[in-house]
Amino acid sequence: MEREHKIIQRVYEAKEDNRKADDLIRDYIPFIRSEASKCIGRVCTEQDDAYSIAMIAFHEAILGYAKGRGAFLPYAAVIIRSRIIDFLRKEARHQGDISLYEESGEDGQSILDRLADQQDHFEQTALRDATRQEIQELSAVMAEFGVSFSDVADHSPKQERTLAACGAAVRYAAENQDLLEELLRTKKLPLARLAAGSGAERKTLERHRKYVLAMLLIQTNGYEIIRGHLKRVLNRKGGMAG
Amino acid sequence: MKYLVMECHPGYAVVLDEEGRFLKAANRQYQVGQTVTEIIEMEAPQPAKNSKRWLYSLTALAACLMVMVTAVFQVAQAPFASVYMSINPEVRIDVNRRDVVVGLEGVNPDGQDLTQGYDFRQKDLDLVMDELVDRAIDMGYLYDGGQISLTLDAGDQEWVVTHSETLSAHLSQHLSGKLSATILVNGQTAQPTQVVIPVAPEESDYGMSDYGQAPPVTRPSEEGEDSDYEDREESDDLDDSPYEEEDGQTDYEEPDDSGYEEDEDDRDSDYEEDD
Repeated sequence: MEREHKIIQRVYEAKEDNRKADDLIRDYIPFIRSEASKCIGRVCTEQDDAYSIAMIAFHEAILGYAKGRGAFLPYAAVIIRSRIIDFLRKEARHQGDISLYEESGEDGQSILDRLADQQDHFEQTALRDATRQEIQELSAVMAEFGVSFSDVADHSPKQERTLAACGAAVRYAAENQDLLEELLRTKKLPLARLAAGSGAERKTLERHRKYVLAMLLIQTNGYEIIRGHLKRVLNRKGGMAG
Repeated sequence: MKYLVMECHPGYAVVLDEEGRFLKAANRQYQVGQTVTEIIEMEAPQPAKNSKRWLYSLTALAACLMVMVTAVFQVAQAPFASVYMSINPEVRIDVNRRDVVVGLEGVNPDGQDLTQGYDFRQKDLDLVMDELVDRAIDMGYLYDGGQISLTLDAGDQEWVVTHSETLSAHLSQHLSGKLSATILVNGQTAQPTQVVIPVAPEESDYGMSDYGQAPPVTRPSEEGEDSDYEDREESDDLDDSPYEEEDGQTDYEEPDDSGYEEDEDDRDSDYEEDD
């Protein structure tokens, strides 16, 4: 009983703190692996998709748990089982189909990548290292604003309309570098100017403040690879809605 | 769609898609900076329904409480007994089980005049009667040497019996020193009193009635001989009661020239003979 109370306390702390959530997940890896093994009927290794799905299902269980739902571990076990079963059913439906995006071989390249260009493996590794470096730099700058990628993911727009509104604000800032300079100098998001210049509603931007901040920081110097990944957003014309 | 892996955690990875969405997805041994084409996105946890469940329970409880309160209120307001008070004005006073007046109505025009503008709500029967008698005195309906007739109507005989005495005594006390009036009390019950006398099955029930032992019935020609009920049924028409003819039909259903009105006196006389 006391052990259960301790878990519940840790779960509630993990809801608020991503680092504590990571610690809780690490401590319960044996339990998660055991539940995944029960579902697939054999020993589950870290290379199995079921393992990854069980890990994220455990994280979902942390976020979705409430005291009224009974003991935490049985609840988490149910979530893990249902997620893995859903995945296995989906996989069974697509069995025999080969996706162009499907990764094949040891290098993890998709068929499309192999067909499209025969890039040098070393070039790929160098690109990945450069991307990682950019991301780490961006993460460090974001940390100065007290924001992590997990926070941004939690506040990322879900609806197309909201995404378009935020995208318009980001494009407006990209075209007006003084806004980005002001952001870096004052460490404050110029929401009023963004709203007035892009036509997006200030309330929408405020609701997704962390997301807008991350996207504006990406528009500052030094993140060319990430900006290249987001070229669809930056090249989009119009389509803004409040 | 291509996804750029931005952050890796034991439970999930944060990826950035080409549309600019940051997503949490299953970490399939990803590394930061890696570009992937297929992800298993994290499902948004469903909010706990506890608060709503409490709300439903609370609503159901409130509804039950309302029904109970309404039922109790209706029972409290339901007339249990009526008191007809007749001076010259006649009024009907309805009371509940606690003798609180729940209705007041003038039976005749003078009664309507007496009750007009009088507020009986939340008052006891004694108080309402006192105040109505006082109003009757003031309006000139009740005078010295007058008469107050009370008729009690209730399904409960015990209530009638107890209130016959108490109401009369109370009114007498209330009128003492003001004027002298005669107070008559008549009790009524909704169901007539029925007395059941057990009879042994082997014994004939002839001659037994609520009025006691009936005298033996004899024909003038057979006077002095023994007779019982069965003989009487099989014999010719010994009963000259006008209610029953030879075919068993009563005059109520087929009135004829020798009908009910004419035979009523005869029936009364027969009834007295049976006694």
